[in-house]
Amino acid sequence: MADNGRKAETVTLTIDGQEVTVPRGTSLLHAAESMGTEVPHYCYHPGLSAPAQCRICLVEVEGAPKLQPSCVTMAADGQVVHTDSTAAKRMRQGVLEFYLVNHPLDCPICDMSGECKLQDYVFDEGREQGRGREPKRIFGRDDFGGDVLYYGDRCVMCTRCVRFMDEVARDSRLTVVERGSRAVIDTFFDRGLEGAAFAGNVVDICPVGALVSKDFLHKARAWDLDHTPSICPNCSHGCNIELHTRDNLVQRLKPRENQEVNGHWMCDYGRANYEWMNRPGRLEAPSVGRGSDRRAADWREALELLFGRLSAAEGDVALVGSAGCSNEALAALAALGDEMPGRVAQSVFRSPRAPDEVPLPGFPLLVRRRDLVPNADGAALLGFERAGSDDGEGGLEEVAEYGGVVIVLGDELADQGEDFGANNSLFVYLGTFDSAAAANADFVLPITTFAEEEGSFVNAQGRVQRFQQGLRPPDSARPAWLVLGALVAALRGEETPGSAPEAFARLAAAHPAFEGLTWEAVGDRGAALVAEAVHG
Amino acid sequence: MAISVKVMRRPEAGRTSYMRATLKGMSLTFRHMIRPTKVTLEYPEEQPELSPRWRGTHRMEVHADGRPKCVACGLCPTVCPANCIRLVGGEDDQGNRYPIVYEIDEFRCIFCGMCQEVCPVEAIHVGQHFENAEYGRERFVYDLDRLMEQDHPVTLLWDPSDPRSE
Repeated sequence: MADNGRKAETVTLTIDGQEVTVPRGTSLLHAAESMGTEVPHYCYHPGLSAPAQCRICLVEVEGAPKLQPSCVTMAADGQVVHTDSTAAKRMRQGVLEFYLVNHPLDCPICDMSGECKLQDYVFDEGREQGRGREPKRIFGRDDFGGDVLYYGDRCVMCTRCVRFMDEVARDSRLTVVERGSRAVIDTFFDRGLEGAAFAGNVVDICPVGALVSKDFLHKARAWDLDHTPSICPNCSHGCNIELHTRDNLVQRLKPRENQEVNGHWMCDYGRANYEWMNRPGRLEAPSVGRGSDRRAADWREALELLFGRLSAAEGDVALVGSAGCSNEALAALAALGDEMPGRVAQSVFRSPRAPDEVPLPGFPLLVRRRDLVPNADGAALLGFERAGSDDGEGGLEEVAEYGGVVIVLGDELADQGEDFGANNSLFVYLGTFDSAAAANADFVLPITTFAEEEGSFVNAQGRVQRFQQGLRPPDSARPAWLVLGALVAALRGEETPGSAPEAFARLAAAHPAFEGLTWEAVGDRGAALVAEAVHG
Repeated sequence: MAISVKVMRRPEAGRTSYMRATLKGMSLTFRHMIRPTKVTLEYPEEQPELSPRWRGTHRMEVHADGRPKCVACGLCPTVCPANCIRLVGGEDDQGNRYPIVYEIDEFRCIFCGMCQEVCPVEAIHVGQHFENAEYGRERFVYDLDRLMEQDHPVTLLWDPSDPRSE
């Protein structure tokens, strides 16, 4: 198609009586999608090859002798396509009946129920009553290793999982064995999906409940979950994800499509690490005073006291940022350091680092990065220096003994001892959990986790990406950008930033790497930073 | 918005006889003396007959081996208009999906019977039962064991041979 330069770049065809113009090389399925008609499909997935074997996307093309699979038939000029004609509908109903010949119809106990394509299509177009009289063949379930469980009876043999492992993970661990109604997906002998770094994606792409997650098994129903667009916090690649929450708890993470970052995929490491967002025992209220003088205070009192101490503070300032905090919080911390009477002696962040990167061979953009925190690159851009070892510990020895002002943002004290900060003239700790090392803090202020606030991260590609609030924070926890922003604003005599977009606007004005970026421009797809500032 | 007012003409004072009305009332009284209609029940020795569609407190059906029939599909908490059912699903040692937690707040329940109607495995039922008195409010949150222990008859919300009333 591309070899003929004389041909126009677009083609115009008629689908269901409506004229539609699409780029040359678009499949009928995508052309129909562009005008809002979903053609049912199982084997076709936009991230995989199209074998046209599920036979449910067949549509009628005028002039063609038989129905055509819309996932591999390219749109051509003047084509007249019917997705809803009697012939197409009859064919779909017949194909669906074949799918149900051996399907157990165990929707009540199936985890896919509510987001299952077989359920949807049969509900839309299938027969009301089954006609089968023969007993159904039964496979039971098979543990594929890793987080994946296979229910052979529910499988529609679309082979998306086989093709994902072959084409995208490039680690052929799944195959179809046997033929006809005896066909099942299986692993090779004793080598399952255990240890495959991206195998969890086969659960996402399975259109029915054949492949389910062990972690999510029987945990929640699909229709109970709230979906919040977010960014994976488990490495600095920042895959676009959705937090699926119920009862104010994160139940699972699912990838959200973004072709410039993670395609349709995410890694198993990121997918599995979400329980910490649900951890109970959070810091409940601000407290002021050191050691035995410690007492709970309300936010107004705590901030007023802290403002008084900050404006009169003596000595230089040491800042400890967390690479798990948003850009807005880190920028507010940096700004607070600049507003202090003393000089900023050091500002550091730490990051646990994996020994190597884990790339996804079939989608080279997606790499499980070495930094196992979401915002290491944002912290570096905002003026924080990397400290500590590759396991994310140490590096705070100087700060621990420091004589001036110390401000710690985030839960960075878990590895520190009780004598941390004993010599400080002022020690402020903003965290989500109490820690033994916070015993000497003059102010302990509860902040929210990334899942409980709005904000942005910078990923390893130098891309700013926004995340939204998915959980309700504990009563008195506040976003760190708000707490620090209020202090900065008080020191400067400005107004406190009222929202994350406002905090982002202040950050963009103060840091050249973010120049010209607005909250709206970042959007839900992210936006690249000014390139020279990232690499310079 | 005109309001029509009906003016009642009262008889003049001193020119009215209440005799006719009194006799009419007394005739009813005497009729009941001769031919009494029984309306009271000697409860609890005598029990009332409940309508076949009476919907009382719940009961969970059990398998022969004592397991609850519930498969924790989550349809009853979804359909419940009063949001009175709490369900946490899990897997037992034989690999069956079952409810780890199944609680019905009978105070919150409006006894609409939709949980029974929606249940795909005919596990949860509303009962032919009304004696629910307890000594404490907390006892009205029925847990799974309590629901399985209930042994009162259950309601037929519809005719099983004609589930769609056709």
